[in-house]
Amino acid sequence: MKLHLPRLALLSVVVLTLGTMACTRLFAEDNPVDDGKYKAPDGGPPPVAPPLRKGSPLDHLANDPKTMTPSVGYKEGNTGGATYYMAHRLPDPQGGLGWGWIKKSDGGSSWNSATWVTVQETLGVAVAPHRKLTKQDGDTNWEYKFWGHFAAYKAYDPHLDEQLPVFVLDGYEVIGEGKALNNKIGPPGRIQHRPSGASSRSGSPILSDPGVD
Amino acid sequence: MRLFLVLVTTLFAGTLGASAQTSEAIVLTGGPALRFMEHGKGDVSHDVYWFNFVDASVIRCRELKSQAKPGEQVTWMIYRPAYAARGKEMGVDLIGQLTAKAKQLGVVLKWFDTKEELIAYLNKGFDRNKVKIVDFDYFGHSNKACFLFDYSNAIDTMSIVWLHVKDLRLIDSGIFAKDATCKSWGCHSGELYSREWKSHFDVPMVGAKGKTDFAHGGLPELSNSDGKWVQ
Repeated sequence: MKLHLPRLALLSVVVLTLGTMACTRLFAEDNPVDDGKYKAPDGGPPPVAPPLRKGSPLDHLANDPKTMTPSVGYKEGNTGGATYYMAHRLPDPQGGLGWGWIKKSDGGSSWNSATWVTVQETLGVAVAPHRKLTKQDGDTNWEYKFWGHFAAYKAYDPHLDEQLPVFVLDGYEVIGEGKALNNKIGPPGRIQHRPSGASSRSGSPILSDPGVD
Repeated sequence: MRLFLVLVTTLFAGTLGASAQTSEAIVLTGGPALRFMEHGKGDVSHDVYWFNFVDASVIRCRELKSQAKPGEQVTWMIYRPAYAARGKEMGVDLIGQLTAKAKQLGVVLKWFDTKEELIAYLNKGFDRNKVKIVDFDYFGHSNKACFLFDYSNAIDTMSIVWLHVKDLRLIDSGIFAKDATCKSWGCHSGELYSREWKSHFDVPMVGAKGKTDFAHGGLPELSNSDGKWVQ
């Protein structure tokens, strides 16, 4: 069978057009018109948080019993490593989001050399000790052994417009309540701030100085 | 034979025309918090609904697509790690949902994981001498000094990926068309970010003085009667 080129071209165009129409129709059927807004199931409520998944970190946070203070000797996460850090908890009195100080565990390190950090929790492995307390500042001046590492990145504190070193927490052990430290609170170079207004629903006053390098 | 050649030439020219971008509109979308981080925060608990920023972005993408001139690409840039983490928390494939939404809208989806990736695209996604950005919209958490792509997702109430006003200098100042329209739909941008934006790019950016509210599901509105949009 011989086909002339013009006929072949016309045939190709017809086939392509029909194919495109069929694909478009199929796609439209698979993808109903979406105006971009959330649609709750028929008769359902407006957007809400998804239900707690049993055994998830959020489930534990919401439902596990809480205590006033940490339990001495309690361990969480991966605590088997020989290398660990000493950690001293202090909620930032300026409203910043740092966790407290961390220093190396070797005997020669004094608290004067400790670093002011924020803690990145490892959900499902180890979360910040205060998650088990009735109040976030229930472990003020308590001390811990921390297992984990310093992250290569810093965290931005939108309340004070400053950056903090990040300690990624893999595990911890509660040592006990310690004495208040006389260390400078906050990262090096902290300047006096007024609170800034952090996120999309915060109405706090604005910064006095951006102060971030 | 002539008919065939004409058809082929026409198709070829059409293909060339469609792929030759002359301008770009960008919708930039930050990520939601984890519920774990926001648990117990009462009225200030953020992002109960995971697609607050997405729904608003979709509406804006649709507007931009309908207004786009020939050769104008609408690009949707989304901070991926926050949606991956929130999806993991919920047991839902949010990344897949976002990919499908972008496909449905007919926009070009560009994920980014870091500030550096975002800046690289803004600077070099196209030859910015030829393809200028004519429209820019930001949906996400912010304070007056920062776009917070990550917020309360990796670390409670903090950010590990952001674009500070001091980072604007890392973006080429000539990426925007002179008559480009820019808007941050996040909170407080009009209190500092807009001014620094104009200073660096020489194009205005509308931003809010005060807070904005994404909770009603459409384009965000000013939260308070004393708030206003400025540039």
